[in-house]
Parts: sequence; C-alpha cells; structure tokens
Amino acid sequence: MKQKIGVYICHCGGNISDYVDVDKVKDVLAKEDGVYVSKTTIFACADSNQKEMVADIKANELDAVVVASCSPKLHQITFQAVTERAGLNKYNYVHANIREQVSWPHSDNKIGATEKAIQIVRSSVAKVRLSQAIEPIEIDTQQAVLVLGAGIAGMKAAISLAKMGTQVYLAEREHFIGGRIAHWDVLCGTEETGKELVTRLYTDVIANKNITLYTGAEMVSSGGSKGNFNVQLKLKPRYVADVCDDKENIKKAIEVCPVEVPDEFNFGITKRKAIYHNFPSEYPQAAVINMDDCTRCGECEKVCDKIDLSQKEETVEVKVGSVLVATGFDSYTPGEGEFGYQAIDNVITLSQYKRLLAISNGELKWNGKKIENVAYIYCVGSRQVEGENKYCSRYCCTATINTALRSNDKFKNLNHFHFTRGMRTYGKQEVFYHEASKQGHVFFQSYGDDPTKVENKNGKTIVKINDILTNRKELEVEADLVVLVTGMVPRAHNTIGDILKIPKGRDKFYNEIHMKLRPVETVIDGVTIAGACQGPKNIVESINSALSASIKSYSFVSSDKLSVEPIVAKIDENLCQYCDACTTACPFDAISKVKSGSKDVALINHTVCKGCGMCLPVCPTNAIQLITFSDDEVENMINVLANEL
Amino acid sequence: MNSKLNARILVFSTDKISDPAIDMAGLLKLHYPPKVYTIPLPCSSAVKTKWILHAFEQGFDGVFIAADGSDCPYGESCTEKTGDIVKRTHDIMKEKNIDPMRLKMAAICSVCSESFVKQVKSFDEALIKNKNAE
Amino acid sequence: MPNIEKKSFDALVVGGGIAGVESAINIANNGLKVLLVEKDLTIGGKMIMLSKVFPTLDCSACITTPKISEVDRHPNVTIMTNTEVLHIDKQDKHYFKAQIKEKARYVDVSNCTGCQLCEDACPVVVPDQYQYGMVGRKAAYIPFNIASPRVASIDIENCSLCGACEKACPTQCIDFTQEDKEYEIVVKSVVIATGFNLFDPLKIPRYSYGSAKNVITSMEMERHLAPTRPYNHVLRPGDGKMPDNIAYVLCTGSRDMTVGNPICSQICCMYSIKQAQLLMGALPMADVTIYYINIRSFGKGFEEFYEQAKGMGINFVKGKIGQIDELENGDLKVRYEDINQGKLVESKHDLVVLSVGAMANEDPKTMFKADTWKQDEFAFAQQKDLFYTPSLSSIDGVFLAGTTSGPMDIPDTILSSGAASMEAIRYIKQAKVEI
Repeated sequence: MKQKIGVYICHCGGNISDYVDVDKVKDVLAKEDGVYVSKTTIFACADSNQKEMVADIKANELDAVVVASCSPKLHQITFQAVTERAGLNKYNYVHANIREQVSWPHSDNKIGATEKAIQIVRSSVAKVRLSQAIEPIEIDTQQAVLVLGAGIAGMKAAISLAKMGTQVYLAEREHFIGGRIAHWDVLCGTEETGKELVTRLYTDVIANKNITLYTGAEMVSSGGSKGNFNVQLKLKPRYVADVCDDKENIKKAIEVCPVEVPDEFNFGITKRKAIYHNFPSEYPQAAVINMDDCTRCGECEKVCDKIDLSQKEETVEVKVGSVLVATGFDSYTPGEGEFGYQAIDNVITLSQYKRLLAISNGELKWNGKKIENVAYIYCVGSRQVEGENKYCSRYCCTATINTALRSNDKFKNLNHFHFTRGMRTYGKQEVFYHEASKQGHVFFQSYGDDPTKVENKNGKTIVKINDILTNRKELEVEADLVVLVTGMVPRAHNTIGDILKIPKGRDKFYNEIHMKLRPVETVIDGVTIAGACQGPKNIVESINSALSASIKSYSFVSSDKLSVEPIVAKIDENLCQYCDACTTACPFDAISKVKSGSKDVALINHTVCKGCGMCLPVCPTNAIQLITFSDDEVENMINVLANEL
Repeated sequence: MNSKLNARILVFSTDKISDPAIDMAGLLKLHYPPKVYTIPLPCSSAVKTKWILHAFEQGFDGVFIAADGSDCPYGESCTEKTGDIVKRTHDIMKEKNIDPMRLKMAAICSVCSESFVKQVKSFDEALIKNKNAE
Repeated sequence: MPNIEKKSFDALVVGGGIAGVESAINIANNGLKVLLVEKDLTIGGKMIMLSKVFPTLDCSACITTPKISEVDRHPNVTIMTNTEVLHIDKQDKHYFKAQIKEKARYVDVSNCTGCQLCEDACPVVVPDQYQYGMVGRKAAYIPFNIASPRVASIDIENCSLCGACEKACPTQCIDFTQEDKEYEIVVKSVVIATGFNLFDPLKIPRYSYGSAKNVITSMEMERHLAPTRPYNHVLRPGDGKMPDNIAYVLCTGSRDMTVGNPICSQICCMYSIKQAQLLMGALPMADVTIYYINIRSFGKGFEEFYEQAKGMGINFVKGKIGQIDELENGDLKVRYEDINQGKLVESKHDLVVLSVGAMANEDPKTMFKADTWKQDEFAFAQQKDLFYTPSLSSIDGVFLAGTTSGPMDIPDTILSSGAASMEAIRYIKQAKVEI
C-alpha cells in the first residue's frame, strides 16, 4: 500500500479550471487516505512544472503519483517519465482524465463537473495506492519493415528505410508500381512528369539490395504485433515469364489477343487487351494477363513461348517488426447523372481528361468532335452538402489549374471555364491561379446549397451557375467538354485496414493517434500510416509523411530488442483447475497447459501475451488477474466512484 | 441543472477504441450527464461479471459496456465474447433479482462520440424511469 | 553558460520552434548528437505563444510543452538559446564548419532558479515583446511562464545598471561582466528551421494599423485568447472595453500584389476561424464577422471546422476591404466591396483583427556563402528537388524543416520536420570519416 502519494491537479490554463473548481479538488484530495501532497498547477505538462514535480517527489520522498489533467492518450507517457526521473517506477503513476471526460463534456454544469473530477481523482488514488513497481518485458524484434503500397509514398518510405540498413518488403497490390502518379504528365511547379518521378523512385527501389519488391501482392492475414508481425501475402501470377526479353513476341501476343476491355490506366477512355502493358515505360517492364478478362483462347501462347498460363497463385510469409501502410486513395466516382456523368456523353472526370490530354496529338477531340470550350466543375465528391464527404480534397483545385494551364502548351484555342466553390490554391500554388486568371480563364463560384448544373439542351451541353462573383447572376456556358473535378475518397477495397484493425476518422480515412503529436502512428502499435490513405495530400505532403512514417517504423526495428508493456495476465496456480477455457479464449495462443506439482495448470507466455484480458472473465475459478487491472484495483475504484464523500 | 437527478452509471470503456470516442465527445463539447464514470480497460471482453455485480452492490444504478465491437485490435472474437459476458451476467442478475436492463452493452467505435452520448443519455433516462417505477 | 566541451556534433539544427524541436528529437533518438541553436531567449517559437490550435482546439502549450521537455532533457541534444548562427561553411561532404555567437544574458543560467525576485526588484519597465506590447515587463525578466529555459535574462539596452537585481538574487547568478561568446562548431549535417515572419501591417496604411488603436493583428489576438494571456480577458487595447462586434480581415499581406506578396499564407483562414470560435466562447454576446476572399479549409477536419463555425453563428462575408477608419469613440468604420451584393458597403466594428500572413524569414541567406543558399521567388528557401526530396535545400547536406520552405500549418510542419530529419540522419550515416 502506498502511503506517500502525490496528487497534482492541472488547470490546463483554463481548459479545466474554467469549469472545475480545482482548488476544491485539491483540498478534498489532501484529506484522502495515503495522500501526502495535493497541489494544483497551471500547466502540468510544462517543462518547468515537470521539473518542479521531480523535485517535489524527491523532496517529499513520495512513493506514488497521480496527475489529473487531460486524456491519458496525450500525457500519460509524459508523467510516467516524470515519475521515473524522480526515481520511482512508472507503474506507480496513475493518470486521471478530468478534461476530455469532465471539464469539456460538463462545461454546462460546473458543480457536477467539480464533483465528478473529485470522484475520478479519488478513484485514481484508490488505484495508485495498490500499485506496484513492474519492469518492462523485452522481446526479440524482426529488424524488417513491410511497406504496403508502391506508390510514391510507399516507394519513398521503402528507399529511406533501406538506406538506413533495414530489410524492407515492399508489396504492391497491382502488377505495376507507381500508384496514382504514374498516370500524370508534367507535375505542378516543376518540369518533371509523373512518369519521370516514378521512374526515379523505381530505379532506387530496384538498385537497393535491402528492398524486396512484390507486385500483384495482396495482404491476406497478419498475426503478432509490434516487433513481430507475421504477414501472409498472396501473389497473383502475371502468366508471363518473369524474365521476359522477348519483346517482339509479346507484342505479337498482344496483337493476337481478341479480347478488348476498357483500359484502367487511361480510366476507360481507351481499350486494352486481356494481355497488356500498362504504358510504354511501365514498371516492372513485363506484360501481364488479366485472367478475369482472358477467354483462354490460347492465341497468345501460339505466338509467344513466354506466356505461361500454368502459373499458380503463391503465398509468401514475411516476418517484420513494423508495418508501414501507404495504400493511397480512390478517386471519387460520380453517381449516375451527377453533373451529367454517364448521362451526357461529353462529361468526364479530371483523371480521364488528363489522360486524354496525354494521349491526344494535333487536335484535342472527344468522340470525334473538336474541343474548344472546357468547363471544369469543382468539388465533385468533396465538401458535399447532401452526401457524406464533408471534407475538402485539398489537391484538386491546384491539379485542375495545372492541367488547364498545361493543356494550352499542347493545344491552342482552348477556352477554360472554371465552376468553383471558391478556389483553394493554398500557399505558393496561388501563383498558378493568378496565372490562369491572367491568361483569360473564366472563374465562377457557386453557392454551397445551389450547385452548378449540367444540362443537355438540343444536343448541346450547357453548364449553368448562380454566380457569387457576379452578384448571383444566372450564367450559362456551352461546353464541348465538361470535366468533373473529383476528389479523393478512402480506398473502397480496404482489406488491409480490416486485417490490421486501423481505426478510421470521421472522414473514413485512416486515423493517426494525434494530428500534431503523433501524426503517422496508429493506435495499433508498430503500424504507421503515410500518404493519402490518411487523408487527401499532394505529392510533397505525401513524401513528407512517408519519410515521417519511415522514421517511426525505423524506431521499432532499429534494435534487435524491443521493450513492451508488462501489462500481462497472471495465473494463480492455487486457484487454477485447468479447464482450457482461457486457452480457448486467448486470441494470441499465449496460454498453454503445464504440470505444476501433481496438477495441470495454465501457463501464460508473457512475451506473447498482449494484455487484452479476454481470458479473465472466462475463468470459472477467477484464477486470472491482469496486471494493473486486478480485482482489488478495479473494485477499489468502483467503491470510490459509487460513493461520494 | 441538479446533477442529483441523474442515474449513476459506470462505463467500462476500452483504451484504444471506445475511450477515444468518449474523449472526443468532450472535445466536441457534447454534453451528457455528469454521473457517468468510466474505467478504461484494454478490451471490453476483459470485463469480469464479478466487477459488474460489485458495482451494483456498491450503488451504481447502471453499468454500460462501451464495447470495441468489430474494431477490436485484439481480434474478431471480441464482440461475441463481450456479448457472452453480458449474457452470463444478465442470468446471474435475474437470479439475484437485479433488473437486467441495468446492464447494457453497445459497440462504440473510436469516433462514435455522438452515439456514445445518445446511448448514455437514453440509458440514464431509462434508469431513472426504472428507479421511479420501483 | 552551456558547457560546450564537445565542439563537434552530428547535426546542427538552426531554430528552436516546433520544427527545429521536432527535428532535433528525431535525429537525437537515433543516437546522433545534435546542437539546437535558437536566437531567442527561449525555445518554442511561435507555437508556444498560441492560444489553441485548429481544428482540435487543443491548447497549444499542451502540445508544445511535451516536445519541449523531451528535447530539453534529451541526452543527445545540446540547446543554446540567445545564440546566433553567424556562418555555416561547407568544407566537404558531411563536413560543415559553423561560427556561432552566444549573446550575453548577464545571468548565470546554471544557477538561476527562475524565482523572479530580480524581476520584482528591477525598477525599469518596458513593453513586453512576448505579449506584443500589451503589458510591460522589467529589464530583468523571464520571457514568460512556460519559457524554456525558464531563467532570467537582463535586457542590457534598457537596464539602468542600478544593481537592484544583483542584490535581490538569492543565488548570486546575475553577472554584468558576461560577454558575448563565439564558438566554432563542426557538424556533418544542417537542418534549417528558422520559421517565418509575420507580415507587417504598417505596409498597408489604409488599414490604419498603428494609428487606430483598436486595429490589432491576429498574433496579438492569440495573446488575448491564450491561457497565459495578459489581461485574463479579451479587451480592446484602445480603452479596455470588452468588444462585442469584432471583424477579421483575411489575406492581410497575402494574395496581394500591392505589397509584393502574391501567395496565400495557408494558415490565416483556419487560425481566424479558430479565434472566432474561441471568441464566441469568451464573449458569448459578441458578433464576429470574417471578411474573406476564399475560405481555404483544406486540411484534415478543416472543412468540418469551418462548417462548425458557420453553425455557431460566425458571420462570413465575401468581401474585399478597401479602407478602415477610426471613429471618435475608437470604433472602426470598415469600407468593403461586398461580392455577394456586388457593391461597396460600410460597416462598423469595435475591434478589427488583421489576419496577417506568413512571410519568408531570410536569416539563412546571411549564414551561407553567397550563391550557395538559393531562395525561391518569394524569398523562401529553395527546394532543390521538390518531389523527390522536398526537404533538400540548394546545398547538399542542408535540409529544410517547416516554414523555411514556405507557409504551412502545424501538422504539415511536423511532417516536414520528420522528412528533414530522416534525410539528415541518412546523410550523416553516409559519412565515412569521423570528424
């Protein structure tokens, strides 16, 4: 039993003290059994206060500490560290959450908030009174990282980890690497094309011996956790020999293939065969057969002996200490009839338009008709008033402006009409907006609740807007082509998130622990996130987040040992009558049957136990206790919470 | 508002899933009755029946398990296991003449703040109604 | 004086704001030795001075301080505050020589306990630069309560040399004989995290900043709203009246060719919306109007935050401000072009906040040999390889963290610092020879 407990109650500069009478909390706590010091502080987390706390703990020879402040998710680690610096064990520290769960939700009820704060701090004291020193458990770590997704973020992360000497497995679901950027022509703000950027990254990936690249690789399962993940990857065959230098015959094979399907690389505006290349400088430079499209007619085999339809799906297992997720985004697909999409034949998406510009030469035509007036409709699938996507997709304003400006380099006499919801060319990107205005692009802005309309009138496509910029005038433009500026949405095909249990935010993208304190970590220890799988980002932002994620993933694998929380379950052998209920309940196979003297008992492997506690309630003799959540600790907390002073 | 009118509710939340949602309810300044106390655990399928009964003995009007549901980082079986705990405990409560409605469970995802507030508010009302009916 | 026995480090981080602090921690966590140099008396930069941060409304100090204490006690980080970088000369790959000057503080930092008795004793009062002149401070002073290091300093320019502080100091740590000290440092890599400057609204005379007392900048408003705020309330500076009709002027100094800055500052829309939300809390009866050209709530959770502000009753007016004039009672007459109505309109407010933009800090230019340090057309640091290595400057081995390369918000700054430090670590690890 701890008898010299220190209690520190934080004002949080008004966040708490505006609603909770912190002095009253302090005074009540001072009288609590075992409490030796009870104080308030303006900012408990401030460095100066931390130093004072360390001195205070030492000077008063305290044996346990409670800080009542914000959520433990923010500062539990901070104050555990303070406790350690003062010479105590960090498990002699208990955190009381009186901001997120008291002052903020009860800002409408100061008396109730103060009462609740007192109860919560008292229950924390009840818990810390029973606390004991515990030492961390060391586990062996796999010094390797699995990077999921070989777009620019995944490749950049893989390269930087590999350069640190880490073994990297880079797994791409598609047969070709490069993700979204491989499609694009000249990127905004440089003279570099997307293809060139992807080529540079791929060259580095291939040149680095520490990187193993899998394409056509899908994660199917994952076991273990931080330090020791076992991940199963399913490898789809290409049905074309790996080392294929027989370029001529592959070309013939493609020619003879009778199947034609829409080409995803050009977003369906062109056709490809069932055996196909992605584009002339794709990576890896090897054709692939899509078996969903293939009719097994065997024509290709006749002209090319590198075709191998007998290839089978394989599964590989990789053992890694950390998983870095860089699975990117999907482009929003407009609903049928949304701004005329699929209802009017000259309404296409921005992605399709960009590919159209890339593959067209001479004159820009759509369905055989020459294009002069291009209308861009912004925020399609973003900032929705009716729909679910409330967020702004961030990259699209600039991407559209850049596309429109660049299109003039290749095609003269294009007129650009931008139907916006307010331009968001943030930062330096503003200059492109400025440039477009200077070049005579016409900008309109619609009201949020009165969107732009696309109509077919006597075979003509008309775009109509109630324009803010011209005093709510209703304006019309006859467009040869309507480009829907579609935003970013989370991947629809999201098995990785389900397997790894990565939480999602309100926008359904993967969620970080804290946007500013821990922006690339997830609540799943050892799993980091990078790029647009976390939310819309442009290229520079994706690369920065990829490098940030790689530095965090590296911290899990830089040494061959990792210390993990010793919050594990313990068996009381006297009570245990081995019945196997706990063994069955454990999701980690941590519990086995052993002999203890004359009887069988359960034994928990503490390096495998994750401390989830699933075994606790199933034990018929109540023989299992979870460290820091023992019956005594939990019931003592309940005693306090149930009974006010 | 007189906080004495509220029922006393013990919430078992979970460190990684439901407790962040309860935190976010605070962040969004969503109000709920103040006599709602949480004890965060690693996982909702770690709640012992013994603890729940202890809470009723000590004077809690209701116990709410803010379960991980299918988001549980420890595995798929969480929903089922937490459900089993509630079922077992409900049976014992009936034996002991404790109204089973005083133990409630709902899955609260890591951003389900509004759902949490709705759940505890309606639980609070139901408990008060139940108490008054007694 | 920090004891600089070791004059060589793996990395030199210039600037102790959130970007520099984050970079230093990342590099030091990999077992590398870092020297963090800050020209101000305290680390923490602009972020530590902020009230709360968007879109979560966490208090800024709550997020800054854990990072600051982490860097402060990191065994691999040496921090020098009140220190300027004079030159950084690249000698060779992985080999930089730097000249730094530690300015005299006239206080023995190792013995100062931060008791503030010198402050009490000092008879000289001057405007407090950390509170933007809203209150005074002494010539012997601690910058602010959560400063790091939280130690005193003597402002020698304003000091009357009366000696009162010397007598009051219980640990005899005041030392008027201190002199500036120069050091030569050898490092393998450099991270520049010198941040940005706020736009000076005196450059737009028609906004009457400086002459009209109740026209303030957004940074001044931050101090009014911060937990460590000087008046513990929001009061307008002219007469101490609680304002009840506040206007925000977005794009002050941004997207404005007349002041030579065509770019958008990326942060002002959001910090203004945040301040407006906080004002609605602090002054429930007040009207808040935001005059904007475009609202740019583009980041994660930002658009939702903007919608929330509209829901709270904050008045958003799409309009360009022409002129702000002070009335006799200190109120302000704001003339603007209302885009929705398509005409010129006048309105009255009792407090006007200018949402000033983020401008380049050109300090690094003087540190490097001419022509090696390159800037972009807006005077921000040039990013040599924008997409492949965004943090690489024009000099190999010198990396850019945070707003050195352009305006960005805190989450982007943290990510950019992560990237800069990862590149710096990789660069340092390539060094074959120990220096």
